[in-house]
Amino acid sequence: MAGVRWLETGDRVSSHDVATPDIVVSGVHKSFGHREVLRPVSFTVDAGEIVTLLGPSGCGKTTLLRIVAGLEPADGGEVCVHGDSPARARRSKSIGFVPQAPALLPWRTVRENAVLLRQLNRSAGTVLSGSTAPDPVELLEQVGLGGFLDAHPHELSGGMQQRVALVRAFALGPRVLLMDEPFAALDELTRTDMRHLLAGLCESSRVSVVFVTHSLPEAVFLSDRVVVLSGRPGRVVASVEVALGRPRAPELEDDPAFFAVETTLRHALRDGAGR
Amino acid sequence: MRRRLLSTAPIVGIACFLALWELLVRVTHPKPFVLRAPSNVLRVLARDPGYWWHQSVVTAREAAIGFALALLVALAIGAPLAASRFAERATLPVLVLVQVTPFVAYAPSVVIWIGFGWKPIIFLTSIVCVPLLTFGVVGGLRSVDPSALEVFRSVAARPVETWWRLRLPSALPAIFTSARGGVGLALIVAFLGEQFALVADGLGVVGKKAVAFNNGDQLWGAVFCMAALGTVGLLAIGAGERFLLRWHASQRDLVRYRPTP
Repeated sequence: MAGVRWLETGDRVSSHDVATPDIVVSGVHKSFGHREVLRPVSFTVDAGEIVTLLGPSGCGKTTLLRIVAGLEPADGGEVCVHGDSPARARRSKSIGFVPQAPALLPWRTVRENAVLLRQLNRSAGTVLSGSTAPDPVELLEQVGLGGFLDAHPHELSGGMQQRVALVRAFALGPRVLLMDEPFAALDELTRTDMRHLLAGLCESSRVSVVFVTHSLPEAVFLSDRVVVLSGRPGRVVASVEVALGRPRAPELEDDPAFFAVETTLRHALRDGAGR
Repeated sequence: MRRRLLSTAPIVGIACFLALWELLVRVTHPKPFVLRAPSNVLRVLARDPGYWWHQSVVTAREAAIGFALALLVALAIGAPLAASRFAERATLPVLVLVQVTPFVAYAPSVVIWIGFGWKPIIFLTSIVCVPLLTFGVVGGLRSVDPSALEVFRSVAARPVETWWRLRLPSALPAIFTSARGGVGLALIVAFLGEQFALVADGLGVVGKKAVAFNNGDQLWGAVFCMAALGTVGLLAIGAGERFLLRWHASQRDLVRYRPTP
């Protein structure tokens, strides 16, 4: 991704240098009534690391993400986001949340939507602490929406809307980004573009990311590590390192190494479904 | 070009309607109290415009104040109702009762309770409009995009922020829809309320006197003025809609965005 503004590409903090993980999930479980959604699940995300939760539909990965975001209480276990409870992380605006639908406010322009999260809960104050918060307009230009700053969401395609939703989260300058299948509703070509774009955005910030998806190429291309979940009730069946180097270029998807990781993940998914 | 043609359509429609009416009267010659030519009514109005303006303003003021009060009440009770299913279930039957009970049935009691004059008219106008507007407010507040709500929660937005920046704007389309119905309702209640409240002025009073004295001129003059008030009310709501709902699907052909090159 060209045009990195607030941190040079490659400047990215390597996950392995950092001692304490940014997100710690230990023994989290959840049931809705009699339906068990999550068996005790544990994983960690190091600072600056991009971790994908990969699993079949209905395996509870969205629920797990919502628990990490503090939008849903867990029945048991512990979640730590940057040393805090999810609820406190929310209150200090450390979490950038990207839902499945873009959820833009139709009465706001693209530019106004991009700054929404900054305007809310201003008393939290930790945000915009100097250099960490990027300029929303620059971000919009970086994702190719420079000509649409004053457009309203209904004038944009689905992919463009989702790009605004990404910028809205990045513009907050959060410590962690939590994304819930943000590209699920897009067509295959747009999806591919979106994951290339997102990788660029992530690589140029120090943010730690949890990305939920059921798409194998998405998981491989974006992640430093993939946590594979089984079908319902969800539990961790594998944790796969993706040692493909950074920055990642779109051509990587034609590389045999890319297919090798994809195959590993497919097998892990199948094993998880088998039991 | 096509836009300009479209904007003349309502005028063409009304002109055709009036022309047909005029023709019907000139051909069939009904009794003047039953139906009279629009040209005749316009002549009556033109004979004393100050009088008709005064009567219209009186009725319009009653309807507008009653409607505005009803809107405030609807917003005040709609908010807690949208927040709590229990409160909604408990209050809904009461609102429906108020809505389905014809106000003319209890209007005399209201007049005796509050006293003669403009006050009972405004009270009646408000109480009749409250259920309709409250349904609009509750429905609107409920139609908030749940994903957007989650986004607000994800940064622990304060309730006031969620209210002003998300809930209220989301509710506006539904509120406007119910307000459109409310305008006609408020005018009807003001017109009939005047006939109970022993006031001296207003189109309702003019209409009642016209019936008592078998005066077709006065009756049809009042009818035309009421139609004009309703039109003005709807145009006002429409203007508010175009201003506040520029972004909404219903207004979309009015804003065409072209990206800057």
